[in-house]
Amino acid sequence: MDCLEVSAEQALQMAKGCRQYAMCKIDFLGTGICESGADRRFVAYYPQGRMLLYAALAEGKIPVTARAKEIADGCTLCGKCDYQCYFVTGMRPTAVMRALKRFVVGHPQPDRAASDADPLLAEIRAIVGSRWADSDPAVTVTYSTDPCPLADQRIPRYVVLPESAEQVAALLALFREHGIAWTVRGNGTNILGFALGDGAIIDMNRMKRIEFDEKNWTARIGPGVTAFELQSEAVRRGYRVCVAEGAASVISSIMTSGILSLLSTAYGTCASNVVDAEFVSREGRRFSLNDKEAPNLFAFQMTDQESRFVCTSATIKLHPRSDDEAGVLVPFQGLDDAVAFARDCAVRRIGFGIGILGAEYVSSFISPTQAQAVTVKETLSTKLGMEYLVVVLGDRHALRSVADMGRPLIDQKLFRTLNLGLNALGAAEWLELLTEVSQEEPFSYLKIQGFSELAETALGPSPEALLKEVDPDLRSFYAELYAGSEMTDLVWLNMFRVTSSRIGREKHFFPILVYLPLEAELLGVLVREFAAIAAKHGIKHDLGFITPVDDGKRCMFEYDYFVDHTDPAQIADFRVAAGEVGAVIEKYAAKTGTIRWLRYLLHQGVCRMENLLYC
Amino acid sequence: MTDSNETIVMTGATGFLGSHLMAALVQRGDRLIILGRPQGTRPLRERVDALLASLGATPKKHQVDVLEADFSDPSCGLNWHQYAGVCLKATHFLHCASDTRFSETNRLASIQTNVRSLASIIELARRSRAAYFHYVSTAYVFGAETSSCPEAPVIAARHANVYEETKAWAERDVAEECSRLGIPYTILRPSIVYGDSRTGQATRFTALYHHVRSLSAIRDIYLKEIRELGGEKARRHGIYLDADGTLHLPLRIHLPRRGSVNLIPIDYFVAAVLAVLDRPDSDTIYHLTSNRPVSMEELACYCERFLNIRGIKVHYGPAPEGFAPNPAEALFDKFVEPYRPYLSDIRNFERRHTDVATEGIDPPELTYDVFERCMAFAAGANWGR
Ligand SMILES: Cc1cc2nc3c(=O)[nH]c(=O)nc-3n(C[C@H](O)[C@H](O)[C@H](O)COP(=O)(O)OP(=O)(O)OC[C@H]3O[C@@H](n4cnc5c(N)ncnc54)[C@H](O)[C@@H]3O)c2cc1C
Ligand SMILES: NC(=O)c1ccc[n+]([C@@H]2O[C@H](COP(=O)([O-])OP(=O)(O)OC[C@H]3O[C@@H](n4cnc5c(N)ncnc54)[C@H](OP(=O)(O)O)[C@@H]3O)[C@@H](O)[C@H]2O)c1
Ligand code: SF4
Repeated sequence: MDCLEVSAEQALQMAKGCRQYAMCKIDFLGTGICESGADRRFVAYYPQGRMLLYAALAEGKIPVTARAKEIADGCTLCGKCDYQCYFVTGMRPTAVMRALKRFVVGHPQPDRAASDADPLLAEIRAIVGSRWADSDPAVTVTYSTDPCPLADQRIPRYVVLPESAEQVAALLALFREHGIAWTVRGNGTNILGFALGDGAIIDMNRMKRIEFDEKNWTARIGPGVTAFELQSEAVRRGYRVCVAEGAASVISSIMTSGILSLLSTAYGTCASNVVDAEFVSREGRRFSLNDKEAPNLFAFQMTDQESRFVCTSATIKLHPRSDDEAGVLVPFQGLDDAVAFARDCAVRRIGFGIGILGAEYVSSFISPTQAQAVTVKETLSTKLGMEYLVVVLGDRHALRSVADMGRPLIDQKLFRTLNLGLNALGAAEWLELLTEVSQEEPFSYLKIQGFSELAETALGPSPEALLKEVDPDLRSFYAELYAGSEMTDLVWLNMFRVTSSRIGREKHFFPILVYLPLEAELLGVLVREFAAIAAKHGIKHDLGFITPVDDGKRCMFEYDYFVDHTDPAQIADFRVAAGEVGAVIEKYAAKTGTIRWLRYLLHQGVCRMENLLYC
Repeated sequence: MTDSNETIVMTGATGFLGSHLMAALVQRGDRLIILGRPQGTRPLRERVDALLASLGATPKKHQVDVLEADFSDPSCGLNWHQYAGVCLKATHFLHCASDTRFSETNRLASIQTNVRSLASIIELARRSRAAYFHYVSTAYVFGAETSSCPEAPVIAARHANVYEETKAWAERDVAEECSRLGIPYTILRPSIVYGDSRTGQATRFTALYHHVRSLSAIRDIYLKEIRELGGEKARRHGIYLDADGTLHLPLRIHLPRRGSVNLIPIDYFVAAVLAVLDRPDSDTIYHLTSNRPVSMEELACYCERFLNIRGIKVHYGPAPEGFAPNPAEALFDKFVEPYRPYLSDIRNFERRHTDVATEGIDPPELTYDVFERCMAFAAGANWGR
């Protein structure tokens, strides 16, 4: 596999640009994952960790240690991470890996890491095994950052990877005894700085057990199991689970946000998908959700919470699938109509997943490169007037109902055509003309008999056509990927979420997340307020998604701000804006009594959905 | 009209017809006050200057005043100083501005622009003690079922779209208001206007151009597919390249009845309007129309020749049962949907007033040469994209 050679300065820029979305920790492209990462499990041994390590070394934040050299040497330059990272961010990490190797060779290391003399580390290691705890800066620094523009760097003293609930309980007792603060970590993708801490980071990456209990439609999982891994296993057995971002640990997702997913329309959020879960309390006590004596984790309170429990396993609901599932996209010019339509579907319980997606979101997901994403967004929103697309996932009965609603729509086949032919979209004069003549009923041209066939003729869709702007040495691999159906299958994409992290490709994104009534007026007010604040501070912004929950009575709403997390000026502007955003949410929450801010959901993610939405 | 004391207040000067009229008026030395609107951040002055330059008209100093206006405002959006200035100078009004969109979804905007805004403009004309108020309407104020269309007010008609409806409504309001206020008026009713028959030039490309552009877009879809992807899909749709390089593109167009399309070139429109401005008859309607409308077959031939395609067939009467259009036909059908009422037109326009007022100025025929000139210009300008 080929690598691009870059200067030390370019390598540093790239390393600092690592989005830390942990996509290199899951095998989402079928390349396999970085072998040293799979073996050692510490973030430092994954491509993401090496990027962060190189940035810290090159900027002189930490010295070169023996561990740093070992981490650098552990990279075989196999190139897998190029495929993975380029897919998401357009970056080629192997260039940084080469720079890292050069850097450690050029800097002599002390014989022994100072951390080895730390008696507490020895005690920690006695619990988890010597391989699974470390205090070397080469390791700890890779747990010290989060691209969140509100998060400051915090280098922990220790990083520890327990293997069992017993080990977790022993660790908590030890930390309590020594007054060491601890923070649990799944894959660190919360992007709000929640997994940072000064004391010990308890990385759950070794706890990856998945046990299916098909009789009871459940899977019991460890806290290291990611959404992608669980969904893959579930699908292999003919089921589906309601999970979110592919690289996120399912349990961490539940703890943080209760799981925000398009699938939540049908399957709910928070405790709705959790049949049971086991915890270790701060005091080292073990209990499960289903214990009569257990703390009431089903409750929800509108206040900031602190971390009191470590979740060591969860029993997650399995949902049935049918063999006739597909997705459709229904385009809209305005938010009001899109909300009304999504609500209509949700109230009638049509489909198992619904989401209103902004043009930025859709164009990022379907475009293999950032340049394409920019053109596609321009085409979608300006030329075609498709500001919002409502995606509905369902079986053939659900999709027939959607069709019966009479709206022009993009079905699965047409979506594949548009996606694989997207390079020809920008210059498609015929589409512009159709938009001009369809003012009476916007997008009615989608109803033209044989439109799909026409679009295929005009756009010449193919993986090769789609990928012609991709780095030449990666093209054939991606072409094979896109030749399969998954990368353009709306159901698969929403279940596995392997393209969603492309939203942060141009620059990192900050999601503003609230639960509120699915009402166009209120949503419109918030959209305008968030947009105005962003515009005032010169921040790129757009609507992310809106998903109906609980029969369309409420929805989850994400609005995104985009901030270069390596640019201090943008961070400073963002911090002021974030304060204003918070004030707006609090204002409308107080005024309406119906708005719930994600901020308060952290550590309360296993609450009852109804407690969150209505109490 | 070139009398040094006369000044024409003109609206719609940034549009197709208005821009050509404005340029002709400038070229013959008339003084103008242009009332219009900016385009986004582009000021009206810049738009007007650019249009005049593109049409080769160079105004003398102070020949063209430009004022940004808002006709929905009773004072036309002018401040007191601007309003008084217009009243002091204006002697004639030429009201060309119009919402020319057909879509029902724009009904409110169409009514506002085409009808409601008249009040403030006519009031400005009254306060200016204007010698004449010339209103540019359309020949299509008559319903599609009227075969004989006199140069007289329209009593009642079934209109094809909100554009026709509001233009007819505006005619009635202009006549009523001007009569009530004692302002002499004319109503100018052009049919469908295309580019300059001598040079091909035009500043906007709608109507006739839309059909040619649509066909050209369909042709390009298939040419590209044939050249770059081997033409398998084209063949499936019955489309292929003939040995002589002509694209065989079978398009069956079903129209309810045989009719024709009444087309005039912009140079004729301009010349006729200038003649009416010079010798207007009070409270008179003029049909600026062609004496020899073209048939759909003729237009189809012109298109085929211009686009190097073959296979367009016009059928009259309902489409046969079970008619399944190929994707190209379905696409073309969608393209022409808003314009369908104009493709089987049976309206005949009387021209008695026009013939008197524009003696010696006859509407030229739309020959293939003229057609080609105009379409080549439009294609060269990328259809105004
Ligand atoms: C590109 C992108 C898209 C995203 N899209 C979505 C989305 O659609 N829906 C959604 O819900 N989220 C989304 N997220 C957010 C993120 O995936 C979730 O917040 C998830 O929690 C992160 O999982 P993680 O394993 O990375 O957790 P971490 O970031 O490691 O931890 C998150 C929080 O959970 C706590 N925690 C972790 N494990 C445990 C445990 N076992 N016991 C107790 N507490 C624990 C941590 O202390 C921390 O406070 C997205 C993030 C990215 C980067
Ligand atoms: N073109 C034809 O074939 C044809 C045939 C018959 C009759 N007509 C008539 O001829 C006249 C001109 O037509 P056209 O083809 O030149 O139309 P056009 O190109 O669409 O131009 C319309 C003009 O009206 C102006 N306008 C529209 N809405 C306005 C508003 N709300 N406020 C101020 N100005 C506004 C436009 O200004 P902006 O540039 O700022 O948009 C433009 O200058 C119209 O009255 C039309 O009914 C035209
Ligand atoms: S190139 Fe190095 S860091 Fe990247 S996947 Fe291969 S071994 Fe891991």
